[in-house]
Amino acid sequence: MNAAHEDPRVTDYALGELSGEELARFEAELAESELLREEVVNVESTLSALRDELGSEPKPRLEAPQRERIALQASQGAARPKRGLRAVAFAAMTVTAAAAGALLFVSTQGRRAEVASVATDKLEGKEKGNVGPRALASAASAQDLPMAGQGQRFNRDAYDAFSDNPFVRVATDPRSTFSIDVDTASYSLVRRHLRDGQLPPKGAVRIEEMINYFTYAYPEPTGDRPFSVSSEVGAAPWAPGHRLLKLGLKGKHVAPTEVPGTNLVFLVDTSGSMSDENKLPLLKQAFSLLVQQLDAVDRVSIVAYAGSAGTVLPPTPGDQKATILGALDRLSSGGSTNGGEGIQLAYELAKQGFVKGGINRVLLATDGDFNVGVTSQSDLVDLVEQKAKTGVFLSVLGFGAGNFNDSTMEKLADKGNGNYAYIDTLNEAKKVLVEQATGTLMTIAKDVKIQIELNPAEVSEFRLIGYENRVLAHQDFNDDKKDAGEIGADHTVTALYEIVPAGGTPTGPGTDPLKYQAPGTPSGKAVRGELATVKLRYKLPAGSESQLMEVVVRDTDARESDDFRFAAAVAELGMLLRDSPHKGSSSYADTVRLASSGELDERRREFVELVRAAERLKR
Amino acid sequence: MQDGKSRWVMEALTRYEAALLRYAATLVDRAQAKDVVQETFLELCKAEREAVEGHLAAWLFTVCKHRAVDASRKTQRLRSLEDADVNEAPDSGPIKKLERRQTLSRVGAALEALPEREREALLLKLDGGLSYKEIARIMGLSTSNVGFILHTAIKRIQREIARDSELPVRTAGRTS
Repeated sequence: MNAAHEDPRVTDYALGELSGEELARFEAELAESELLREEVVNVESTLSALRDELGSEPKPRLEAPQRERIALQASQGAARPKRGLRAVAFAAMTVTAAAAGALLFVSTQGRRAEVASVATDKLEGKEKGNVGPRALASAASAQDLPMAGQGQRFNRDAYDAFSDNPFVRVATDPRSTFSIDVDTASYSLVRRHLRDGQLPPKGAVRIEEMINYFTYAYPEPTGDRPFSVSSEVGAAPWAPGHRLLKLGLKGKHVAPTEVPGTNLVFLVDTSGSMSDENKLPLLKQAFSLLVQQLDAVDRVSIVAYAGSAGTVLPPTPGDQKATILGALDRLSSGGSTNGGEGIQLAYELAKQGFVKGGINRVLLATDGDFNVGVTSQSDLVDLVEQKAKTGVFLSVLGFGAGNFNDSTMEKLADKGNGNYAYIDTLNEAKKVLVEQATGTLMTIAKDVKIQIELNPAEVSEFRLIGYENRVLAHQDFNDDKKDAGEIGADHTVTALYEIVPAGGTPTGPGTDPLKYQAPGTPSGKAVRGELATVKLRYKLPAGSESQLMEVVVRDTDARESDDFRFAAAVAELGMLLRDSPHKGSSSYADTVRLASSGELDERRREFVELVRAAERLKR
Repeated sequence: MQDGKSRWVMEALTRYEAALLRYAATLVDRAQAKDVVQETFLELCKAEREAVEGHLAAWLFTVCKHRAVDASRKTQRLRSLEDADVNEAPDSGPIKKLERRQTLSRVGAALEALPEREREALLLKLDGGLSYKEIARIMGLSTSNVGFILHTAIKRIQREIARDSELPVRTAGRTS
């Protein structure tokens, strides 16, 4: 035993994995040390013995029919993506099998306008919380290979795997706490996969994002509240006897004239990989749409980054459209990515064009494989958070499929106080950047958390559908330092709970009763008729102290609304695609029936077609 | 054009079939490994050649790992429903493993006896010819961690061989 023996660099060296300075240093040491040289010889001989062994071992083979199947498939080549779907109006962009994609995660600075709150309590009378088991469950088995890469480009999108929230017994833990999520990326990702004739990876299917892709008819908030809260209870279509509780939040409407000045910096990835028709050209179109809506009080700058970063357009008033569009048009791709430098430059320009009291935002456009250069991912998050405090927020608009890094983007959006939408088509760009621009750009409440307490007199078990990555510990609800999701103007946010009514059949074996304590005894308020109490905490965009809202949910026998059935259908599709243990009796055919039972607008019709596409591909 | 693609896939099959099967067998049982590798190549048929070329090996091992993880999750689910041992594959199990090990050479036995993670990393390196960075991605580790695991694996193999032969390992090596 000696130091050389324990030096892992010997293995690195023998395997050719040392380079640059490390290699030079090691070789200098090697020249000095006899022991080290001996050790290198030693390791090399072991390696060659291993190589010989692997070379001489009988070679395992596939079975003949397996080989034949591969040969057959190979001769047929890449299956043409099945595109039985409408929305191919942009046929020019569908040249490659990988569909166009863009994602947007937006974190918004709210206006400074004070939205005073009536009927809300200040953060006082903190209640004791405890950590819910679901907080642990959501820590998930995230192991679906982070493919965020510098250099190497895999035709694999990176998604983190996670498990569905389990049923929880009200007797064990009557509460559920989570952060709202206005992201909609998952729906667009799922749509892209299905249009390409593939079932999406399970990790890409986040049910809450699919549900939140659609807007529902929720009441406009009254008084000075930034959003309204409403609820509806009906049958869970996939589980006879179970109920479904639908919670809806609706951000207040802000007229375009009320929107303060906007200072946007487009930070555009112009590396070689962006040259595809569905990346840079689509990106230019998407940004043009945004530029069309700006006027003289607004500012636009453009920074391009590839091998090096450079200013393409200094802060320019929004009414000089020809100048802005011209600069956008001149962007071309080439070189490798160095995002680290570009992002610094972008923040610099954002500072120069800063609109006090307005929306100041860097819009990063990339194909998802954001190479932060010398900075590490965590440094980037730090930078983004730090800049957010100065009033400049970061949005990411990502393009293209194949090496798309969903997990990094979602995490960045989550950490960076943002929302995140994946734009797979020009229509999607219109939805996010034109129709819902105010919601995308303007936050009306931040750190919005929901805590629901179920009444044991009415409910025996419940589970939150989706929001796996957003589950919070119960005590985080009252902790104003704990970050949560934001809601934009006009945004709607929907959450579904599946409920097993009191006296219903248990969903699992459950645990033994406790020896040392009796489970919670119902209080005098646990009266029949009240299903749950929903509490919400939020901060106003410029505030640091949270406000509390409380709503009681009652079950009624009223017929489910169209919106209710549609949201349930979206949840069903999500569960089927995730092959969820809770999918119950659902089937694609049922989902189609359920979704089409109400009025369908264009997006909902598209949904129905997606369900049919999934059915044709089913596992 | 299609012919080119077909030939390319079949060449990849010839070249990586054994390595992938061996690798998959570190993650799932041997019967499943074959399915996993078949699926991997079926995916290759569907992939765009331009997107894969240049890092074919890394692509194949990555997809292979994904499929293996999927397969083992499925098995785990099944096993938790049925009785644990009933589903045991005929060629796993301690006795079979021991029998198989006896037929292997010393080096082969040492390789077989490695902890799962070390064997996985070593196969990716030696059979797959992947870089630390590629291995790190596939195994969800940091690059330095990969180096450390490989180092530990090699040390362990040296100890195994030394113990078996009761002689220290010392072979004339190449110059460095």
